[in-house]
Amino acid sequence: MTTSRRPESPELPLTRRRLMHLSGAAAGAALSGTWLASSRALAAARSQDAPTGELLVGAPEDGYRSDERANIGMYPLNTNIYESLVRLTPDYQIEPLLAESWEFVEPNTWRFSLRDDVTFHDGTPFTAEAVKWTMDRIAGTGGGVLGVDENSTVIVDDYTVEITPSRPNRRLVQQLNHPNNSIIAPGSDPATERIGTGPFREVEYVQGDRYVVEANGDYWGEPPLLAGITFRFYPDPITRVLALQSGEVDLIYEVPRESAQEITGDLSLATSNVGAYEALYVNIHGAEPYDLGQDPALREALAYAIDKDAIVSGVWQGNAEVIQTMIPPAILGGAGADIVGTTYDPEKARQLLDAAGWVPGADGIREKDGRRLHLVMIVGFPTAAAHVPMPEFVQAQLLDVGVELEIVQTPDTATYEARLATGEGDLWAELGSQNDGNPCFLPDLLFYSPDPEGDPESAMYGNAFAPGETFDAHIDECRSAVETEAVQEAAAAAMKVLIDEEFVVIPIAGIYRIFGLNQSVQGFEAHPSGVNQSWAGVSVTE
Amino acid sequence: MARYLLRRLLYLLPVWLGISFVAFALSNLTPGDPARLMLQRQLARQPTAEEVAQARLDLGLDAPFAVRYVRWLGDAVTGDLGESYRTGEPVLTALITRFPITLQIAVLGVLGALAIALPLGMLAAVWRNSPVDHVSRVLALLGASMPNYWVAYLLILLFAVQLRVLPVAGRGTWQHMVLPSVTLGLAASASLMRLTRSEMLEALGQDFVRTGRAKGLRPATVVVGHALRNAMIPVVTVAGLRFAGLLGGAVIVETIFAWPGIGKFVVDSIFDRDYPVIQGFVVFMGSVFLLINLAVDLSYAWLDPRVRLGGS
Repeated sequence: MTTSRRPESPELPLTRRRLMHLSGAAAGAALSGTWLASSRALAAARSQDAPTGELLVGAPEDGYRSDERANIGMYPLNTNIYESLVRLTPDYQIEPLLAESWEFVEPNTWRFSLRDDVTFHDGTPFTAEAVKWTMDRIAGTGGGVLGVDENSTVIVDDYTVEITPSRPNRRLVQQLNHPNNSIIAPGSDPATERIGTGPFREVEYVQGDRYVVEANGDYWGEPPLLAGITFRFYPDPITRVLALQSGEVDLIYEVPRESAQEITGDLSLATSNVGAYEALYVNIHGAEPYDLGQDPALREALAYAIDKDAIVSGVWQGNAEVIQTMIPPAILGGAGADIVGTTYDPEKARQLLDAAGWVPGADGIREKDGRRLHLVMIVGFPTAAAHVPMPEFVQAQLLDVGVELEIVQTPDTATYEARLATGEGDLWAELGSQNDGNPCFLPDLLFYSPDPEGDPESAMYGNAFAPGETFDAHIDECRSAVETEAVQEAAAAAMKVLIDEEFVVIPIAGIYRIFGLNQSVQGFEAHPSGVNQSWAGVSVTE
Repeated sequence: MARYLLRRLLYLLPVWLGISFVAFALSNLTPGDPARLMLQRQLARQPTAEEVAQARLDLGLDAPFAVRYVRWLGDAVTGDLGESYRTGEPVLTALITRFPITLQIAVLGVLGALAIALPLGMLAAVWRNSPVDHVSRVLALLGASMPNYWVAYLLILLFAVQLRVLPVAGRGTWQHMVLPSVTLGLAASASLMRLTRSEMLEALGQDFVRTGRAKGLRPATVVVGHALRNAMIPVVTVAGLRFAGLLGGAVIVETIFAWPGIGKFVVDSIFDRDYPVIQGFVVFMGSVFLLINLAVDLSYAWLDPRVRLGGS
């Protein structure tokens, strides 16, 4: 197979610049001779040695840690050097990977049977010892979401291992797929050397600049089709798009929605089959004087006053869908249908507000007992920019039913959470992504009743508005269920309380993860959770 | 000279202490608990009250402000600026690793700015109100008006996407340095060009220039050898300040060009309330700023022999 690393220049409109092009070309050729020559020589050499070709990927910024929790090669950019015991499929299901099977042993133990045909990149056989080494490393840094400690992992035999979290955790298997839980070679430390079992092995990592991997010829599974991948870090999303347009890379992560229409001609977009990977929702809660949301009628009215279709089509231009859940619906299986949600009905919203005693004032903004219906929406998680211009859409829609909305953008997550902890706001716009297979993680994190003797900031939402016993019971069920369907049903039931009964969460949109690629890329299947992206089945052609 | 240098270095001490105090105070006044943020990242869940309390104890955040400042200052003077909450790296190592990366494009940017500003500013003054003057004025206006990020994208579109003669972003070859350096240099060149012109106009009206011409010196010798040299002191001062500013403030350019320098690293640290990095950066860059100022002052004596360093 022959490969072409630099596709022909796409036909881009150029009129007045044509003259500049012609005059600059000669000087430019001299200027860039070294760079182009070296790039092409490298590509040619690689093509001859490795007929399956090399893929150039434009990735977001280098977000790896390099301390005792080092996750280089794992997260957030998964270079497929490492593998976990299980994998998260592109439709959010858990499948075996390094573990062939598993079973739950009462009261709180998971027993895994491991593959016996796997070796690490340095030739070391993969055994239960590697699992213990990995889990003990995680335990040494606090146990993570798995809740493991130094006594949790017990080697039964070379290919059987038991993990008993230090607290009850039946969601462990759904959490293990996260790249931070990847299995590392015994004795190795990802801060200094990356030795995994994955389909690719490391060639070079240059912090903040690039990560180069090559095919692992001894891979236990289907061998990768590519000879190698070079991931280049581009923190700026627009620069990533320009890198794709220039032919500097073949494929880019996270095309910004405002630039999606620039991906034309020989370039195309790819999204996952299950659609949404991120959920945008608005939570309602607050402490005095932001306490108007304590009124259920007002919350319900707000839910009906927001036109989700208009927001999805106006803001995301086809790269999102209306959803009625606060996590990607696919992860709930059939149980997601139990959550009805709300559809735009401004007349119903007005009726609800009228019935609650909110009457229009002289300027159209409703009032009750001398108090103006003025709400404050805090926008800042994960960034304020991620929501723009959704808040303005909501502001206009609420104004239509007599609600005045003030938008406050926080400069960063820390400021957002500081306001959240003290309840300084009425509406909270958030964008959450789902990177593991645990459907109850988010509602549990945000709304489970707080421990009265615990840290008030540890359950920031729960402190302001914990729905109470019914919700907690569903979450308890979700935490303790073993079968996938039972977990999904419990998670859906919990979310139904939040969305259909208490109206404290208004789901707005499910956002697609958008990749951009050129025609040379074949077999790319976009994973809704980008951190679980697989590269083994990707190839490049001329 | 040596006494002057020593005296100047001693003057820097109280300024440096002031910088360190302000850096420490401001980063501690920002909302957000660093212990909680650190645990959230480590544990991937909300930490318990006990975990937060223990982390605050481990990080020394439980002590009064003054005690924490003195402790931090004591460590800082020995070169220990702590460890990044975010990446776990020693702060000094993180800064020293990234600083030369920023230095590369900052040096090239300032040199490029001077290469544009000095000849154009000089010619605009010599040929005042001529087409050269008008063109330089327009260029200065453009340079000062165009935001960095806009220039950066335009340059990428032209040279990387359309002409394909330079890489879009990243590091590795000298070609990767061209666009970020030009972006930084263009903005700096505008103000330097106008400053050079005005200083040259003033110098060209001085008696020594008239004397030089009367003695029959070549016009180039009068302009470059005498007038320009006399006009250089304010230009060097401003160039030094711009250079120091680029070292710490090239964040947008570094982000767009995927240039893993110190600016982007620090902005990410600010978002994450990574106190050790924020404080270390302010002190580090404050020190660099002070040293650049000192170097600029020392250059006065070389540019103008009438300036006697340390003399009465």
